[in-house]
Amino acid sequence: MKFYVNARYLIVPFMSLIAIVGILFGGSFAWVGVGLFALNTLIDTLTKNIHLAADFDDSGESYGIKKLQYSVMFLMLPVFIALQVVLAYRIFQYNADAPIVINSFLGLSYQAGISGFNLIGATVSSGLWAGLGIIYGHELSHNKKEGFLVSRLIMALSGAAHFTYAHVYNHHLDLGHEDDPATAPRGRNIYTHAWLSHMGQSRFSYILEQQRLRKRGSSALNIDNRWILGYLYSLPSIVLFVWAGGGVGVAALFSVWVIANFLLEALNFMGHYGLIRKDGPVEHRHSWDNDSVFTSWFFIEIGRQCDHHVRGETYFWELDDVEGPNYGIGYFSLFVITLIPPLFRVYVQKHLENWDEKYASAEEKLIAQKFAY
Amino acid sequence: MLNFFRRSPANFAVNLAESDISFNVERGDSLLSSALGAGVPWPFKCKVGSCGKCKCRLVDGKIKPQLDFGYVLDISEIKQGYILACQSVPKSDITVSVNLNENEMDGK
Ligand code: FES
Repeated sequence: MKFYVNARYLIVPFMSLIAIVGILFGGSFAWVGVGLFALNTLIDTLTKNIHLAADFDDSGESYGIKKLQYSVMFLMLPVFIALQVVLAYRIFQYNADAPIVINSFLGLSYQAGISGFNLIGATVSSGLWAGLGIIYGHELSHNKKEGFLVSRLIMALSGAAHFTYAHVYNHHLDLGHEDDPATAPRGRNIYTHAWLSHMGQSRFSYILEQQRLRKRGSSALNIDNRWILGYLYSLPSIVLFVWAGGGVGVAALFSVWVIANFLLEALNFMGHYGLIRKDGPVEHRHSWDNDSVFTSWFFIEIGRQCDHHVRGETYFWELDDVEGPNYGIGYFSLFVITLIPPLFRVYVQKHLENWDEKYASAEEKLIAQKFAY
Repeated sequence: MLNFFRRSPANFAVNLAESDISFNVERGDSLLSSALGAGVPWPFKCKVGSCGKCKCRLVDGKIKPQLDFGYVLDISEIKQGYILACQSVPKSDITVSVNLNENEMDGK
């Protein structure tokens, strides 16, 4: 049981490595990361009706091995760095007009040089898998000092180191309230939300730092300003891509960041869309659960939002179904629906009506009436 | 000299100042989760170090902060020994002072 519980959370590390190897092999393998994403969407959709509870032994202890899971999360930092390095290597070849030939290394054939088309595949693959850094960046933002820094570094690879502070000090405190940029109000689409949420969290993070430094009598223009520091953590990526490919490198890195941040904000969008919280504590009803089996394992239980927001200190492998609002489908399937806003509006309507009726407090109901959806 | 090889205890004792309440914290656990586990009605709201509701004053002993308290507590509070229970892992037996009547929820 212990092996099963711990091994099931290794899908992303395993697939990230395949995406990296795909880019290294080159040719059409550069698209492997994109293909895996499509495959995952299919698996998630096919298994959407399987929902499992968390596993505990007879004494109520979780089977999760903390040392193992933390080692994996920490090791994902070099994996995500490798993902950028292999893309930069391909951009370098493209920019240098390296001839596209088949070479062999240790008996394995790979394509040296890369076409523009396959470079697009490598870039999209990198963006999609870099975007999944959020699941580790998120978990590590909540537990232990060392984890917080690793979370920031993982997020910095996508130009989003501000997330770690904004998530803890803004999202968790102001969830479901208009002061939380990561909660999407009813009627907003995912594209608008991605932009507003990203900028709102960055702005919050800046103000948070400004206030902290002011308390100490320091100016916000300070190397100790962690908002500035977060962006500085992204500098090595910028330098690498500029060096590797000049304008092409910058365009590729920008694409990776846009895709990665879009995925991050898509998770925020799906986790809280349209939910309302008036004064009072955060409760299970203020989040949507997405806990079908593949989503649970792939996204290391980040879809168990209802439990997470009430027990923010709880390790992901201990989060459980708390019978909160539940879309009933996984993140991959829901993500596809959110990409088409008119379809999402139709889909979400019955869920919102159900929420208003079954979960909302009287005050929350009143606020809900102001929204047309 | 042998101290170096001695294992640190599996848990530490927490005493609440000006009361006869005490409980144990397992090594690595937070002060708040242990208090709640022991049935102490400790005030809290977010459990992630952002609301300040769980704050208490460390009277004696050592803790390891898990997050920077500077975002939630004032410098003067930190100087007086205030800590966030949800983000504090005891590193020795400790005595803390906390207002257990603070646990009504307020604001958003
Ligand atoms: S419970 Fe909110 S800071 Fe500790």
